[in-house]
Amino acid sequence: MNSTTADETVVMDSGLTSLIKVSGLHFRYASSPPVLIDIDLEVSAGEIVALLGPNGAGKSTLLRILLNELTPESGTIAGPLLSMKSSRVLMGYAGEETAHFNSLTGIQNAHFFARAAGVEKHEVSEMVSGLMNLVGLSNEADKVVSSYSFGAKRKLLLLEALVHQPKLLLLDEPTVGLDPVSRDALADILSKCSQEGSAIVMASHDLNFLEQLADRILVIDEGRVVSSGSQIELLSSLGTATRFQVSVDTASIELPQYFGEDVELVDDSGPLVFETTRGQAALPEIWAALISARVKILGVEVREPGLAELFRRVTGQELPG
Amino acid sequence: MKFLVTVMEFRIALARPRLLAFNVMVPVVLVLAISLGGAPEFHAAAVYTVLFTIFGTFGSAIPLVRDAEAGLFGRIIRSGVPPSHFLIERAAGGSAIDALQLLPALTIATLGSISLNGWIRAVLVLWSSIWIANLLGNLVAAAARSLAETALFSAVVTLFLLHLSGVFRTPLPQSSWAVIEAFSPFQALHETLLTVSAGTSTEFPLGLVVWVLILPVVTVFLARSVTRSLRLASDG
Repeated sequence: MNSTTADETVVMDSGLTSLIKVSGLHFRYASSPPVLIDIDLEVSAGEIVALLGPNGAGKSTLLRILLNELTPESGTIAGPLLSMKSSRVLMGYAGEETAHFNSLTGIQNAHFFARAAGVEKHEVSEMVSGLMNLVGLSNEADKVVSSYSFGAKRKLLLLEALVHQPKLLLLDEPTVGLDPVSRDALADILSKCSQEGSAIVMASHDLNFLEQLADRILVIDEGRVVSSGSQIELLSSLGTATRFQVSVDTASIELPQYFGEDVELVDDSGPLVFETTRGQAALPEIWAALISARVKILGVEVREPGLAELFRRVTGQELPG
Repeated sequence: MKFLVTVMEFRIALARPRLLAFNVMVPVVLVLAISLGGAPEFHAAAVYTVLFTIFGTFGSAIPLVRDAEAGLFGRIIRSGVPPSHFLIERAAGGSAIDALQLLPALTIATLGSISLNGWIRAVLVLWSSIWIANLLGNLVAAAARSLAETALFSAVVTLFLLHLSGVFRTPLPQSSWAVIEAFSPFQALHETLLTVSAGTSTEFPLGLVVWVLILPVVTVFLARSVTRSLRLASDG
């Protein structure tokens, strides 16, 4: 059972300052079917919100609506962020593209985007070189971007989204193309941004990254928020049971009644799905019961409680990648 | 205004010396071929005018659509550069670079047949005409959905305006076509290139001045629509 449903507005901790609030948002591209349906979302200063969902669920579209690049069909977007006056651009965005001025160096690109976002001339060198160090681009700062690897271009893109210290940071698949060291560095940077009061909304399929950072997760499927809450809330809705999915040759199937202590067969319509609170310790007994019943086993998949399992149960799909 | 986009245009031009050399050499070679080939004055002036103006519209429109398709245009606007600043600054930088690249070709086209004052006037007319061509290139790019369409629309719009400017035919004096020609953007450039051998034109370039002043206003007015249209290009 989900901690909240699509119809419930996400309730914020009263101590946090809401930056942006989306209510009853609907969106569609031209005459296409709806992409987003009745989305409610409130993001507070210092909060990290993750958008999780299959490809085409509407996560990137939601980010672009928050950026004010797309106009919703109905619904409201409000909050102090939209009326704040600042010499700097208040939002930062890193999408999936890696477009840069390819004939210029990384540092020239970073300077341009920093200055465009309102960073003063006397601050820009220090801010850019500080972030270049943090994301691991210092050695490549003076090389032209056309010589960069995909990962280096992604790092530069993230740096450019972060350099003006935005109040709201919108990230679409931020870990794509990053090696584990850079990924950890990004997690540290985002944690620090959050501690300093920036709100972060990110769409990602990198579950470890989301587990590490997200204060709140919205699972979006077919344009609707199908589940939302903190990681603890969402995972507790799964219970503590481990699931095994056993693929068997259905031609030879005659299932036994007993699969071991505290093991329950919860689905036999396709691959057999067993649930147990004993974790992987129950697997040998299930295996033995199936073998003794002369069931031909084709494969076994273990599903420990976690975001991947939550995603599968809520959307009925596997995570891409 | 921080002139970030204009400065960036210059940096990009300087970072690509091979392209810079091509952009100087190709017009020089074409102008040399025509001027050494003994082409009649009227035909030579028409070819130079077409070459210089198309250099401006194509050079503005095609990179803009390419950048939009790659997502760079969207990133620049998203980063905080107002659309109107972007388009005006880009045309300012682009026209200055184009004029510098065309300067050797213009000098060859007018060599030995023009006073220093006349040459300075010719340079100013060239720069102003390319400023118009660059601004037109921005607007053409907004109407196109691909690089091929951009090339087609740039050619059609420029050739049509060149036609109105009297480059391909001479209207009867005091006819309505003559009035239209006086207000056409490239009439001054054509007239300047046409009259170099007979001394410099002293006629006030009315059409040029009108377009130099009005087109930036139109660009600012349409900046949001241009931005929306170019973003659609990046969305495919």
